[in-house]
Amino acid sequence: MLPVSDFKIQKKNNFNLIGKIKVRVIVIIGSLVAFSFFAQLVFANNIATDGQKLAQIQNEIKKLESENTTLKVKIAQESSLATLTQKAQELNFRRPSKIITP
Amino acid sequence: MSQLDRIKVFQIIIYVVAFFVIARLFYWQFIAKVEGTFESIISDSFLPAPRGEIYDLSNFPLVTNQEAFLIYGKPHDLDQNPEEVAKTVAPYLISEKYATKSAGLSEDEQKKKDEEIKAKEEELIKRLSDKNLFWVQLGRKLPKDVKEEIEAKKIRGLGFEPDQKRFYPEASMAAQLLGFVAFDKIGQDTGYWGLEGYYDRKLRGKPGRLGQETDPLGFPILVGKYRPIASQKGASLYLTLDRVVQFIVEEKLKQAVEKYGAKEATVIIAQPQTGSILSMATYPTYNPDLFLEFDESLYKNPAVADTFEPGSIFKVVAMSAALDLSIVQPTTRCDVCSGPRQIGGYEISTWNKKYYPNSTMTEVIEHSDNVGMTFVSGKLGIDKFYDYINKFGFGRRTGIDLEEESTGFLREKKDWKTIDLATASFGQGIAVTPIQMVQAVSTIANKGRLVSPHIVAKIASSDKEEKINSKEERQVISPKTAAQITEMMVNAVENGEAKAFAPKGYRIAGKTGTAQIPVSGHYDPNKTIASFVGFAPADDPKFVMLVRFTEPTSSPFGSETAAPTFFAIAKELFNYWAIPPDENK
Repeated sequence: MLPVSDFKIQKKNNFNLIGKIKVRVIVIIGSLVAFSFFAQLVFANNIATDGQKLAQIQNEIKKLESENTTLKVKIAQESSLATLTQKAQELNFRRPSKIITP
Repeated sequence: MSQLDRIKVFQIIIYVVAFFVIARLFYWQFIAKVEGTFESIISDSFLPAPRGEIYDLSNFPLVTNQEAFLIYGKPHDLDQNPEEVAKTVAPYLISEKYATKSAGLSEDEQKKKDEEIKAKEEELIKRLSDKNLFWVQLGRKLPKDVKEEIEAKKIRGLGFEPDQKRFYPEASMAAQLLGFVAFDKIGQDTGYWGLEGYYDRKLRGKPGRLGQETDPLGFPILVGKYRPIASQKGASLYLTLDRVVQFIVEEKLKQAVEKYGAKEATVIIAQPQTGSILSMATYPTYNPDLFLEFDESLYKNPAVADTFEPGSIFKVVAMSAALDLSIVQPTTRCDVCSGPRQIGGYEISTWNKKYYPNSTMTEVIEHSDNVGMTFVSGKLGIDKFYDYINKFGFGRRTGIDLEEESTGFLREKKDWKTIDLATASFGQGIAVTPIQMVQAVSTIANKGRLVSPHIVAKIASSDKEEKINSKEERQVISPKTAAQITEMMVNAVENGEAKAFAPKGYRIAGKTGTAQIPVSGHYDPNKTIASFVGFAPADDPKFVMLVRFTEPTSSPFGSETAAPTFFAIAKELFNYWAIPPDENK
C-alpha cells in the first residue's frame, strides 16, 4: 500500500501533465484559428481586388466594343455612295463615256 | 460537485450549444428558402443581343447597328424640380428630323418643332412628378452625342442604359426592300416589312443574362455564384443586291418620276440565270430611320405587293405559249388583223386604231397588236393558255424572301369566258405583281428555264453559314421557243415605238406596255400604268429589267415613259459591267 502522501503527489503530477497537454492543444487550435482568420483576410482582400480588376476589364471591353461600333458606323458613312458621289462632284470627276475592256 | 463532474457538465453544455449552432446553420443553408436580401446582390442584368446586319453583294453594310441609349429618371432622386428637368431634356427627345440646327428649318418646321417640344415637356413633367414611381423611362434610342450632351447638364436623378439602334449608311436606299425596326407590344425591337420583317427571327438573335454576384460597391465577387448566359448576336444577311446598281436605278427613277409626272415608279433588275435580285427600287420612298414621319402607305414594297393589269407586256407570255405548242410560228400570218374584232359582245381594237392585215406574229408583237393577240389566244384556247399562265408562275407567290409578297389575281379557269381569253392575251382582266412579271421574262431570257427570284444569298451567324438558293427551278418553255420569242422582242425594240431611245450597238429584247387602270367597273382613260420589260444583251442576258410607272402625266404610253427610262438605266449598266457595244450593229 502506497503512502497517502505518495498518492497525492502522483495525482498532482497527473493533473499537471493533462493540464500541459490541454494548454498545448488550446494554443495550437488558437494559432490555427488565428492563422485561418488571417488567411481569410488575405484571400478576401485579394478576391476583392481581383473583382475590381475584373470590373475594370469588363469596362474596358465595353469601351472598346463601343468605339468599334462607332468606327464601323463612321467608315460605312464615309464610304457610302452618297458621300462618294458628293466628293466626286467636288473634285470634278466625270462619268466614263467609253467602255474599255482588256 | 467535483471538479471532474463540473468539467463534464461544461463539456456537455458546449456539445449541446455546438449541436444547436450546427443544426441552425443546416436549417438556413439547406431547409429555409431565404428570398430578398441575398438576391439583391446578384446582378442579374439583361444582356441585349445585337441585331444582325444586312450587307449588299460587295459586303457593304446597308443596315448596321449604332450605339444608342435609353434615358430614365428617378423622381425621388432629382435635384431639380420636374419642370426644370423637362425643359432641359425635352428638346433632345423630340423627332430626329429636327436634329438639324434651327437655322436649317423653315418657319413652318420651326413652329412644328416648338409645338413638339412643348408637348414633350408636358409629358415629361407628368412622368417625373409621379412620386409613386421609383423609375420612369423618358426616351429610347438616343444617339450617343445626344446622351453626352444631356450628361453634360449634370442633372442628378437621370440615368442611361445602353441600347442599340439601326443605322443606314446609304440613308433611304432600298428602304421598301429592307423594311425597318420598331418596337412591338412589349417594347422589344421587331422587324417590319421587307427583309427586316421576313427574316426578323434570324436577325434578332437571343438576349442573354449576366447573373453575377456583386458586392455592395458593384464589383463582381469571384467566389460567388456566376451563371451568365451569353447573348447571341442575330444572323447577318448577305444580299444579291448590288448597291451601285441600286444607286444608279434610284437616281434615274427619281429623275424620271419628276420628268414624266408619275404618281409612283418601280424598277426591278434580276439576273435570269440565278434568280438573284440585283436591284429593287420604288419612288417615292421613305427614310427607314424616320419611318414615323412618313405615310404608312409608303412602307410596303410595290415591287412585290402591288398587283396591276400588265397590259401589252403580257403579250410575250401568250405568244410564248402559242410558240411552245407550235400552234403558231413567228412567220404565221394573222388573218383577222384587218380591223376591230367582235368577241363575246365586246369590240377588240388596237391601241392606236391602226390595223395591219396579214401581219406575221413577229409584227404582231412589234406593233403590240391586240387584235393579233386575239388571233393567237383563239388558237390556244382557254385550257392551254391557262396552263401556261400557271407554268410561268402567275396567280401564286414567287416565293421571294420579302414579307409582303402578294399572289396577284387570276380567276379560276372555270370562270373564264371567250372574252376573258381574248383580253388576257393582251394583259387585261388579270392582275400580276411586278416580281411575277420579272420571273416570267427571266424564264424567256434563261432559255425557257424558270428560276424563282430571291434577294438573300446567304445567312451567316457566328457558328454557321446557310446558303440560300432559289425555291423553284423548272423548264417552262423549250429553248427554241425562248429563242424565237427573244428575237420577236429584239425586233420590237429595234422597230417598235421606242426604237429612238434604244442605245446603239446593243441587242436588247423588250416589250412596252400601257394598261388603263380599272376604276369602279370601267377603265379610266386618263389613268394608265406604263411599263417596259426586257433583257440585255439579248444573246447572253446579264440582266432582266422591269420599269413601271403609275399614272404618268406627261404621256400615258409605256413607249414614251418606261422605255426611255429602261434604256437610260441599261446604258449605265453597260458601262458599269463593262459590256462593250457591237460596232457592227
